[in-house]
Amino acid sequence: MKLIFYGGKGGVGKTTCASAFALAISAASPHQESAGRVLVVSTDPAHSLGDTLGIRLSPAPRRIRRRLDAVELDGRRAFARWLRDNRRALGEILEHGTWLDSTDVDTLLDLSFPGLDELVGLMEIDRFARGGHYDVIVVDTAPTGHTLRLLAAPETVGVVAGVLDALQDEHRVIRDQLARVTRGPEAADRLIAALGAQATEIAEWLRDRRRTSFRWVTLPEMMSVDESLDAFNALERAGLHVDEVVVNRLLPSARPCPLCDRRRAEEKKALAVIRRRLGRRRRVRLIPAGVEEPRGLQALAALGRVIADGSSLMAPRRPPIGRKPSAISHQPLTAVTPETVPAIRGASLIFFGGKGGVGKTTAAAATALRMARAAPERRILLLSTDPAHSLSDVLDAPASDEAAIVRRGPPNLRVREIDARRALASKRVELEAALTEIAAAIGQGVPGTGADRAAELMNLAPPGIDELFGIVSVVDARADYDAIVVDTAPTGHALRLLELPDAAREWVQALLRVLLKYRGLLRPGQLAQELVAVAKSLRELQALLRDGTRTRCITVTRAAETPRLETERLLKRLRQLQLTTPAVVVNALTVQPGTCVRCRTVAAAERRSLTALRRTLRRSGRRVGQCAIIQAPLVAPPPTGVVALERWGGMWKLELRT
Amino acid sequence: MFILDSLLIGSLRFVLDKVVQAAEAEMQDDSALRDQLLEAQMRLELGEITDEEFAETERDILAAIREIKRPQQGAISMSPTDKITGVDIDTFES
Repeated sequence: MKLIFYGGKGGVGKTTCASAFALAISAASPHQESAGRVLVVSTDPAHSLGDTLGIRLSPAPRRIRRRLDAVELDGRRAFARWLRDNRRALGEILEHGTWLDSTDVDTLLDLSFPGLDELVGLMEIDRFARGGHYDVIVVDTAPTGHTLRLLAAPETVGVVAGVLDALQDEHRVIRDQLARVTRGPEAADRLIAALGAQATEIAEWLRDRRRTSFRWVTLPEMMSVDESLDAFNALERAGLHVDEVVVNRLLPSARPCPLCDRRRAEEKKALAVIRRRLGRRRRVRLIPAGVEEPRGLQALAALGRVIADGSSLMAPRRPPIGRKPSAISHQPLTAVTPETVPAIRGASLIFFGGKGGVGKTTAAAATALRMARAAPERRILLLSTDPAHSLSDVLDAPASDEAAIVRRGPPNLRVREIDARRALASKRVELEAALTEIAAAIGQGVPGTGADRAAELMNLAPPGIDELFGIVSVVDARADYDAIVVDTAPTGHALRLLELPDAAREWVQALLRVLLKYRGLLRPGQLAQELVAVAKSLRELQALLRDGTRTRCITVTRAAETPRLETERLLKRLRQLQLTTPAVVVNALTVQPGTCVRCRTVAAAERRSLTALRRTLRRSGRRVGQCAIIQAPLVAPPPTGVVALERWGGMWKLELRT
Repeated sequence: MFILDSLLIGSLRFVLDKVVQAAEAEMQDDSALRDQLLEAQMRLELGEITDEEFAETERDILAAIREIKRPQQGAISMSPTDKITGVDIDTFES
């Protein structure tokens, strides 16, 4: 059994590469025998594997073609299944080790928490691997930051097993002393042992180069290279080795064209850096860009042959475009800037969300810069909650966990990239005190039952931690700033962040209920006071998020099919969460195509996709209110640094309704 | 019977003493009231009581806390002579 991971920044084509590779190795070719039975797995909570394959997928593997299955994991469902199988054993441990009764335990186990996708992801892949149905499992991962959390999950599970073991210990001692007949381990003991063993095995498996391969997908642009370097270091520190770098979407050489020539020159520079800094002692594979993203089995199979056996095949030739570009109606436009567009104006909390790689950070940075410039008396914070930060790359200025002024930026603007691990470490003393108090409240008279083991979690960065501190930072920053612009992680995790206040409030309430119930045993002290304060600020935050006059969610997308489909799902979910979604920014539009055939074909494809988006928004707009379309142009090189960002922000166009 | 009586009376007195002690402690110490206030806040966050009910409870508890504070502060503000006079009067009367 071999495990192959495809990782990379959002929007670089991980899903495309992973599915094309899986298709290629499952089929026999003149160059190569079939690798056997293959499963391609998506672990990104915002799945696009089904969109890319053009087949509806589910959390159960589905046959795609001979020797190839595909599956989109659902962390919550997988956890619910695991819980169903282990509920009794887990309930027993918690009842043995704490004052909690079965009602309390049931309530706690039914709460949802962020980070489940990462925690359960590897366990699920392990389950498929053990099933014995597959020879190769190809994993399409979530964007960088969360993949690092996913890969660290075995350690977290190991600590959880340790906490459960500490809780069960007291019971074990009593049982051994009082039981007349020595019995074998109980279900609870078996669960703890199995969890611990599974965590250790997966961790070893990931680090075994014969069984596991990591492939890193990047685009030939400098921003991707910087983020890749950070990720490589993090992976190496964790003992994981990347053995292949895939450089995706290289512009093929063609007749001279002012736009494409400029981009090719940029790519050449980036490629040289990639070879020098990422490519040493690794395979570097170059994938040419097609005119449109490869979707569907046929297009992917052709691309797969390039990835799998390195044949120098060019991207499949697209059939000529049937309709002439002039057949598409041109939408009347008006020039706007981020600070003047009604969708943004007047808001005090603005979230920029969207699929990976669509330009969320660029749009958020341009907006914050121009807002600050336009109103020097307002204090503006630009905050990144994506664990794979790119604010400093986009601003071309250092940014850190301390809110700071941007070099050459307006004096009333501060920038901060949240460092969840650091935030966790800085709260260590408080959190340990709280844990001890919780243990004293519910631990069965044994001081610190499981609390010191739980404190180990603070050495790791447990999944969900980025979302938690993201929300905490927004709450904390509200007192000091007039407006906060949030650059979120890609879709799946941005949604987790926005869902967090509801989930966190449920957790706090569950703890308050327990403290109230056992107040005869333990006076509700400091912890209760803090929980009351947290519950109050969460309640205020919920109200703020749902107040459309103060809070807006701006979705960034591109005029292509996969981002469009994801945007539609994202908007739907945001509206279910009662958030206001007044505008979609369609980024990187080829507004002024170059002179070559490719440029014109790309521009025509973009216009078709834009028309489809417009139609969807209009349809949903009748039910949930209008969502404006803002067009933002493609510029080569991409806007980097304060000056370029402000200039790019001045090039936005608002579509007027017809 | 004597033993039973003394046991009964003894334990009754013990219980009564404890009650008096607790009542006195509660009158002089506002920590029990603060706990009650915290409990009301917890119930408010859990949605077990409404904003109005909480406001009412809070008003009562705060009034009670002020009540405890008042005589204590009064004692501190009195001059030594005042205090002696008071004790003297008490002594005369008893």
